[in-house]
Amino acid sequence: MITLFRIAIRNLVANTRRSLLLGGAIALVTVLLVVLSSVSNGMQANMLRVGTTLSSGHVNVAGFFKLTSSDASPMVTDYPRILKTLEDAGIKGKNIVVRGRGWGKVISDVATQMGVLVGIDVDKEKAFQDVVQVVSGDLSKMSEPNAVMLFEKQAKRLEVKVGDDVVLTAPTYRGVNNTVDCRVQVIAKDMGMTSGFSMFMNHNVLQKLYQMKPTHTGAIHIFLDDEKQADKVAAQARKALDKAGFTLMDPVPQPFFRKFQSVRREDWTGQRLDVTTWTDELEFMRKILQTFSLLTYVFIGVMLFIIIIGVMNTMMMAIRERTREIGTLRAMGMRRMWVLGMFVIEAGVLSFSSALAGSLLGAGVVSLLNAMEFKVNEAFQLFLMSDTLKLMLDVQTAVVAVAVIGTVTTLASVLPSWRAAKKPPVTAIQHV
Amino acid sequence: MSTPSRDAIVRLSGVQKIYKLGKVEVPALKGIDLEINAGDFAVIAGPSGSGKTTLLNLIGCVDVATTGTVMVDGHDTGTLSESALTRLRLEHLGFIFQSFNLVAVLDAFDNVEFPLLLQGKLNKAERRERVEDIMASVGLTDYMHHRPNELSGGQRQRVAVARALVTKPRIVMADEPTANLDSQTGHQIIDLMKKLNQEEGTTFIFSTHDPKVMSQADRSIELIDGLVASSEVADDGRLDTPQTALV
Repeated sequence: MITLFRIAIRNLVANTRRSLLLGGAIALVTVLLVVLSSVSNGMQANMLRVGTTLSSGHVNVAGFFKLTSSDASPMVTDYPRILKTLEDAGIKGKNIVVRGRGWGKVISDVATQMGVLVGIDVDKEKAFQDVVQVVSGDLSKMSEPNAVMLFEKQAKRLEVKVGDDVVLTAPTYRGVNNTVDCRVQVIAKDMGMTSGFSMFMNHNVLQKLYQMKPTHTGAIHIFLDDEKQADKVAAQARKALDKAGFTLMDPVPQPFFRKFQSVRREDWTGQRLDVTTWTDELEFMRKILQTFSLLTYVFIGVMLFIIIIGVMNTMMMAIRERTREIGTLRAMGMRRMWVLGMFVIEAGVLSFSSALAGSLLGAGVVSLLNAMEFKVNEAFQLFLMSDTLKLMLDVQTAVVAVAVIGTVTTLASVLPSWRAAKKPPVTAIQHV
Repeated sequence: MSTPSRDAIVRLSGVQKIYKLGKVEVPALKGIDLEINAGDFAVIAGPSGSGKTTLLNLIGCVDVATTGTVMVDGHDTGTLSESALTRLRLEHLGFIFQSFNLVAVLDAFDNVEFPLLLQGKLNKAERRERVEDIMASVGLTDYMHHRPNELSGGQRQRVAVARALVTKPRIVMADEPTANLDSQTGHQIIDLMKKLNQEEGTTFIFSTHDPKVMSQADRSIELIDGLVASSEVADDGRLDTPQTALV
């Protein structure tokens, strides 16, 4: 076996140009796979971090309250009882926060801005403080009554700055419009699509706006240690809440604001809870990621197909050149499987070494791009939730890239190698 | 057909080999009856197209006869499976080729060691000892780690001889082993083969056009048009140069 490896490596070295061309192509595909996967991973991680801070917990218990069958308010009544039920069911997470929710508009002297209204208790939102980048103002002032935080673009559109007053208006669950006077305390850096339509304010603003009791809120966000457990925890929460006598909405993988219209049309009154996960609430991000991943895999698939053809062609050329050698070795008593193994090992050495080199090079490119803090244009910023491209190298992805590309390109050599192995020795020896 | 010899290591009876070139059938061997005894230093002579290489291929088990029986070291090659033929070649036969056919990327030592690796019978130290001994006997001790492209034609053929003999085969087949060498080097190779034939008792069967090389053989089989034209055994271990112009 060592001799077969030696033959393989020496043949690859002997045909330097051919090996470099094919190996380079394999390495290039691996680099692309590693880099694109890192972009995808980086996007996902950033979206998850930012999205689950601004718009959603990993698991959310929210819902709608309907006073009449024709209206719908994004409200949860008696949330302390819900928290108790979750606690009794053993659902804790690393943090649980309670946020107000609404849909209304902010009015300044010159313009209005429609959007999702989020009421927060900033002192209990450490992650929020970490994620939001303050441009002007002081985040601690969000704990003051009637404090509002706007993102840069919103502030620009409304032509307001820190210290200016704005008016919030929204229809209450009683069906009349209510208003609350607020003061802009913080202007934060834009954070992609979410910052375009989300406006944050002190929790008391929403309680006033919707005339809610202190035991009412918009949503309970549960942050888990492992976000991959979200579906499991959501199912556990649904079961516990159902058992405790709460009425639950059917699970629909959509963010809460997309459910307004359908809930309004439904013929029921009272409180219904909606248990969702971060993937439901950040549905649009998930779709962007899925599309990006799909495009990545299609692209890599096409590249891989080209490489497979290249490997097969190269192996056929190599085998043709070495037909007499095959005949000699077969005459000496080399078994067919050894001949097959000899060429497959050669392809395997080239494929795996090239894929490994490509993977390492890809890791280098990822590090370089991260170090360069590569600026992305506004269109990308919308779904990246960042103004720089943040790539995240996943070691598992790099290992899988080497394994898959190495294996596929090695397997591509099996057919021509088998044909070589099947060649009768007498024919092979006489090959000119 | 003559009475079978008890010492015959190769025995062919009624052997025909017909190649098909499209719809045309080309008979290469038209009915060969032949015996070669163990320890013979046998030459197969004849003009181009007479069937020398075909006959060597059949005896060397790299091809099978269309009709007739080919017995090699007691095995009827026509009844053996492909893998059994491969095993037979590995265990009982050695090959020397006109163009040396060494593995270009391996050095002389590795080329000679290769058949032992295929056999898988000896450990590393035993293989090394065996290879060094055979390399010494072909006079290439100082060239063991030279690659084929660093050796002369004669040295390459010596490596090929060593590779053919390293497994201690019963029969060594050589298809025009001196054709690509100058006459002096060619004679050195034949002398070497003859020496090993006498010392080890290995049966050598080789083809050639060269009358001087033929004269070294103690057994001569002349083929013409796919038939044995003459079969001669030297009494003194050396044949007279044949009268036929074998070109």
